[in-house]
Amino acid sequence: MWILALSFGTYLFALWKRPLLYVGLVLQVAYIFSRGAELGRLPLVGPHDTLIFLSASMAAFAVAFGYALKDRSLFLNPVAIIAALFTAFAMTTPQQNSPLPPILKTFWFECHVVLAFMSYALFGIAAVFGGVYLKDRQNAFEGLGYRAVLIGYCLFTLSMIFGGIWAYLAWGTYWIWTPKELWTSILFAYYSFYLHARLRQWWTGRPMAVLGIAGFAITMFTYLGVSLLMKSSHSF
Amino acid sequence: MNLLKELLNILFSLRTTLWLLGFSLILLFAGAFIMPVHTEFQALHATPLFKWIQMQPLNITWWLWGLIGILAALTVNTLLCSIESIISKRKVTQWLLLISPQIIHAGFLFVLLAHLLSGIGASQGMAAAGEGSVVKLSGEDTVLMVREINMNYDSYGYLTDWDVSVEYLSDGNVLHRDVIRPNQPSTRMGFNINVKDLRPYPVEAVLLQINREPGALWALIGGILFTLGIVTLILLKIRMEK
Repeated sequence: MWILALSFGTYLFALWKRPLLYVGLVLQVAYIFSRGAELGRLPLVGPHDTLIFLSASMAAFAVAFGYALKDRSLFLNPVAIIAALFTAFAMTTPQQNSPLPPILKTFWFECHVVLAFMSYALFGIAAVFGGVYLKDRQNAFEGLGYRAVLIGYCLFTLSMIFGGIWAYLAWGTYWIWTPKELWTSILFAYYSFYLHARLRQWWTGRPMAVLGIAGFAITMFTYLGVSLLMKSSHSF
Repeated sequence: MNLLKELLNILFSLRTTLWLLGFSLILLFAGAFIMPVHTEFQALHATPLFKWIQMQPLNITWWLWGLIGILAALTVNTLLCSIESIISKRKVTQWLLLISPQIIHAGFLFVLLAHLLSGIGASQGMAAAGEGSVVKLSGEDTVLMVREINMNYDSYGYLTDWDVSVEYLSDGNVLHRDVIRPNQPSTRMGFNINVKDLRPYPVEAVLLQINREPGALWALIGGILFTLGIVTLILLKIRMEK
């Protein structure tokens, strides 16, 4: 747990010394690997591990997207704050150390979860770009936000396909009527709307930035709200 | 004639796509709050959507009816926009860039077709069975016999693996033998048979889930097309930027 506390601290201090963001990311990656080695499986079950993975994914994508920017601090600072918040939240939730039920020991499940959280992270990156666009009005931010959504949408689609295949093999159906599936459809329809809206001139700029921010709010509810508050196949 | 032209203009429009997606979002949001508080939706797992929806009161299904209507309109809109796009841009040199969004659209339509087929013809049955139990498969002469149930536990008592040997019998003759494992259902005669739950005491027993999912293959085709289209589109955009 000390690694997490350290990564939380380094993310916060990255607001003053940017290289600490990389240190925080390295620490979290080390933590994920150590958890995987300890459990003998992919550590992506329950809020603790998934929040850490989400935090690390956001930091990793932020580093990659940051290379496209001259002045990175405006973009990287909010990412560091969000990554620190996710880390802090993860530290308050219990680790799930029990072995996986046989039905979860499959390539389809692993791909489904990894891709879903990578897409959530990219939607988060798009929201940050939306926020900094509203503050600074640089077109580059809006364009990068769109790219983050496009790649995130692709990963999200793949995650749903893998989830559907897994559900068919595990339960005989590719679609289950639970709140999680419904919210996933909302997320899919929302980002479909986003990508189509950008083809129209009227929506470019501020409206896209706002859509990007609102999208991440829906993403977070789909991930945490539904899993914590509603009875679903994806409940924590 | 003018009215028809106007209607076609509306159906060909990207603005219509946005309105339809917007309306579908509103209906999905409504459903997301209606569904968890009404137990009637639990029966939706075992009954085809179009059969279930007709048996339920409108005050809990209105959003689903609306969604079906919106998706029907979106299907027409998607088809027309795709055709229009291919015709109007057929002379462009980068045909992959032209075709990849249409492949995404085709994938989406296949997924809708899958839901339509499943909504009409899907079925789900459950049966508790021990070793030697026989389960009748609905609409077939064949029966399924559970031969052997194996469960493996670790030293802490966690179930680590299991397998269930089954036989398909007709008039007492064995037609086929199969083993159901986690994520490895037995598929035969359009049925997908898997184990939903296992019970070790007082005698080993399983809860079998027998599904028919006519849309599954179409959903897979749709998913593959969607992925191919979107990956191609992203790669092309990256290449164009370079």
